[in-house]
Amino acid sequence: MSNSILVVGGGFSGLTAALEAAELGYEVYIVEKSPFLGGRVAQLNKYFPKLCPPSCGLEIQYQRIKKNPNVKFLTMATVDSVEGEAGNFTVKVSIAPRCTAPSSADLGELAASLESEVADEFNLGLATRKPLYMDTPFAFPNRFVLEPKKLSSADAIKVGASDACDLNEAAKEIELSVGSIVLATGWKPYDVTNLSNLGAGQITNCISNMQMERLASPNGPTDGGITRPSDGKAPEKIAFVQCAGSRDQNHLGFCSYICCMASLKQALYVREQYPDADVTIYYIDMRTPGRYDKFMRKAIADEKLHLVKGKVAGVEEDAATGDVIVEVEDAVKGHKAKIRHDMVVLATGMQPSLAGDTNPFGVELDEEGFVVDGEAKGIFSAGCAQKPLDVMRSAQSGTSAALKAIQTVRGR
Amino acid sequence: MAHRIEPDLQFVKELQAVGGDSLKKCYQCATCSVACPISPASNPYPRKEMVWASWGLKDKLLNNPDIWLCHNCGTCSDLCPRGAKPGDLLAALRNMAYQRINPMPFIGKWLSSPKYLINLIAIPAILWAVVWFIRAGQIGSFFPEGEIVYGKLFPGDFTIDPIFMITFFGMVAIFFKGAKNLLATFKPEGEVLVLGKQKSMFRCFIDVLVEEVATHKKFKDCGDDKSDRKTGHLLVFYAFLALMVVTGLIAGFHWGGKVIPMLDVLHTPLNLLNPVKILANLGAIALIVGMAILTNTRRGKDPEKSKSNYYDWYLLNVIWAVALTGVFSELFRLADIPQIAYSVYYVHLVTVWMLFAYLPWSKLGHIVYRTIALTYVRHMGRQ
Repeated sequence: MSNSILVVGGGFSGLTAALEAAELGYEVYIVEKSPFLGGRVAQLNKYFPKLCPPSCGLEIQYQRIKKNPNVKFLTMATVDSVEGEAGNFTVKVSIAPRCTAPSSADLGELAASLESEVADEFNLGLATRKPLYMDTPFAFPNRFVLEPKKLSSADAIKVGASDACDLNEAAKEIELSVGSIVLATGWKPYDVTNLSNLGAGQITNCISNMQMERLASPNGPTDGGITRPSDGKAPEKIAFVQCAGSRDQNHLGFCSYICCMASLKQALYVREQYPDADVTIYYIDMRTPGRYDKFMRKAIADEKLHLVKGKVAGVEEDAATGDVIVEVEDAVKGHKAKIRHDMVVLATGMQPSLAGDTNPFGVELDEEGFVVDGEAKGIFSAGCAQKPLDVMRSAQSGTSAALKAIQTVRGR
Repeated sequence: MAHRIEPDLQFVKELQAVGGDSLKKCYQCATCSVACPISPASNPYPRKEMVWASWGLKDKLLNNPDIWLCHNCGTCSDLCPRGAKPGDLLAALRNMAYQRINPMPFIGKWLSSPKYLINLIAIPAILWAVVWFIRAGQIGSFFPEGEIVYGKLFPGDFTIDPIFMITFFGMVAIFFKGAKNLLATFKPEGEVLVLGKQKSMFRCFIDVLVEEVATHKKFKDCGDDKSDRKTGHLLVFYAFLALMVVTGLIAGFHWGGKVIPMLDVLHTPLNLLNPVKILANLGAIALIVGMAILTNTRRGKDPEKSKSNYYDWYLLNVIWAVALTGVFSELFRLADIPQIAYSVYYVHLVTVWMLFAYLPWSKLGHIVYRTIALTYVRHMGRQ
């Protein structure tokens, strides 16, 4: 019997669930797959509802974690198996080696001196990074990660000489005893290579909305400058393609809830940087739930921001100029045309992380990969593992899951 | 501006019954109009047809030539995010047109459902059975002795030729009336878009025949259709053309021979090396190969994307029956098995009559009505 709680996933909903439970006195473990906490929010430039930079909201959560001895978090850790029942789970967790000392030494200079470059997943392929890195300056834990296998031999010698690095650190396996589990496994951007009629990710200046967040972010690959990936040119005409793979039975069958808002928000990024730029959002239905409707009304008061009803069903590249040509029918006017843009953003949706991944938790997933069941077993879902949500509602669902988890372990 | 929509709900139900059963799933994203490579830029189809159908705007749909421009490649339905099957809706609208524009609409109704199939078969079955009985009475046997010559049982001069001529010219008359009805309804969206001098209808008709019908060019332009549908359709088209030429030659020489005796040289059954017979046999082979391709393509369709309906299968099966009974009539004749040969030939006559007599109401009516619609839109510069 255990009255500890396991939270799988250290994004916004997982952090919230963990902190709510910990602050009521329960011992909580966070198991996070990536090397840093913060999840998808850490990748954003600004987030709803108040358009704060992520360093703001996440910083508060990190402070709460630091101050609370009840929260223990494991990064680069994945759940291998879950056995037992409510009140008495045994969870096997493997932890990949971080290969740097726990002292959070500043390895920035060493990292900058390395010659090896690897694809940067955090920047969604828009840049490369060193194999000794942190995702963002405010990353938490504020401790570098080393990938020894990706070092050149010269780099390996340099890194080997550092006291703060351990090239031979081994992977670990641990066992946790917990009474309840919160699944806050979150989401991944829908894979654009599936969108064969929208360029399948092969068109350089046709980027995804998450890539746009990285371009606009001050700690992103362009230091916040929204420029074309192919030539660094400032775009004068940008299009947003809504429902790129969402609300589509051939891709994601559901509405991802936040992409319409994300595109409006990103349109504002563009308009703030470029007072002369022309932005068009091609949509099926502009979905701006609740108070977000006010945000849309304000945004479209800008006469350089156009909304056109009609889903883009064809995207081509003009190889000579790098321009992107979208083909769309304006369903209100009844006219179809090929329209040239400097840059196109695909508003791709959220696919639950568990879709197509292993499910060691024994919970039932629906056909899209969302968690639909598990409460009777003492396993509760939070955030986008459950359904597509914005950050505010993710936090709310984290609190809700924490409460249910507490009710499961209370008095044991 | 307030605009009151008067939906015709009965019409929507009828449309769903003839193949448009998924139309209500559409949420008007307009992927289909873009996906269609042959849909024009101004007022493209099939997105507008989908909303008209959802709203029950019968007049708009029935007066719309665009349904005939679609060549049914299915790209729109493949990319449709909702499985609303816009391609099937346009096919359903065409099926509805066959019922609506032709005279004697009850025949159109008979062709719309398998429960009336027996009526369709019974008419020619009785007709040719009567001929068979009368001739059997005259000859004294249902299966004439000696070399198999179908003319012994079903003589051209007094049975086949007059019956099929009446049938053929009746069909032409019905097409003529149907075509007039069709042209009268056309009220397409948009204006005449011709730059410079507008070509005459006749000139447009010739252009359609040469540039589209003869070459099947639209099939090639049709989207992501990776199937051999074009080859299949082209083979069937030219097979029928070849068989028509053969029939025309035999009838022409025969009846011409009554006037100018030296023309009376083509006597059936023809020698296998006779050029006309070679053309006939090539036509039969092309027909069977083409039909095999078309049937295969249709069977291979994903029912989630496109559903074949009774109109599709009725036509395919009748043509199969015509082709197979035709080929087996020849083979059993050559094999000299009179009982089977004459019986198969009887079925052949029944199915050929079904094909021609009901042609304007069947899906094959597109041979005339699509050509007319293509001519019409070309005339007004919409393509």
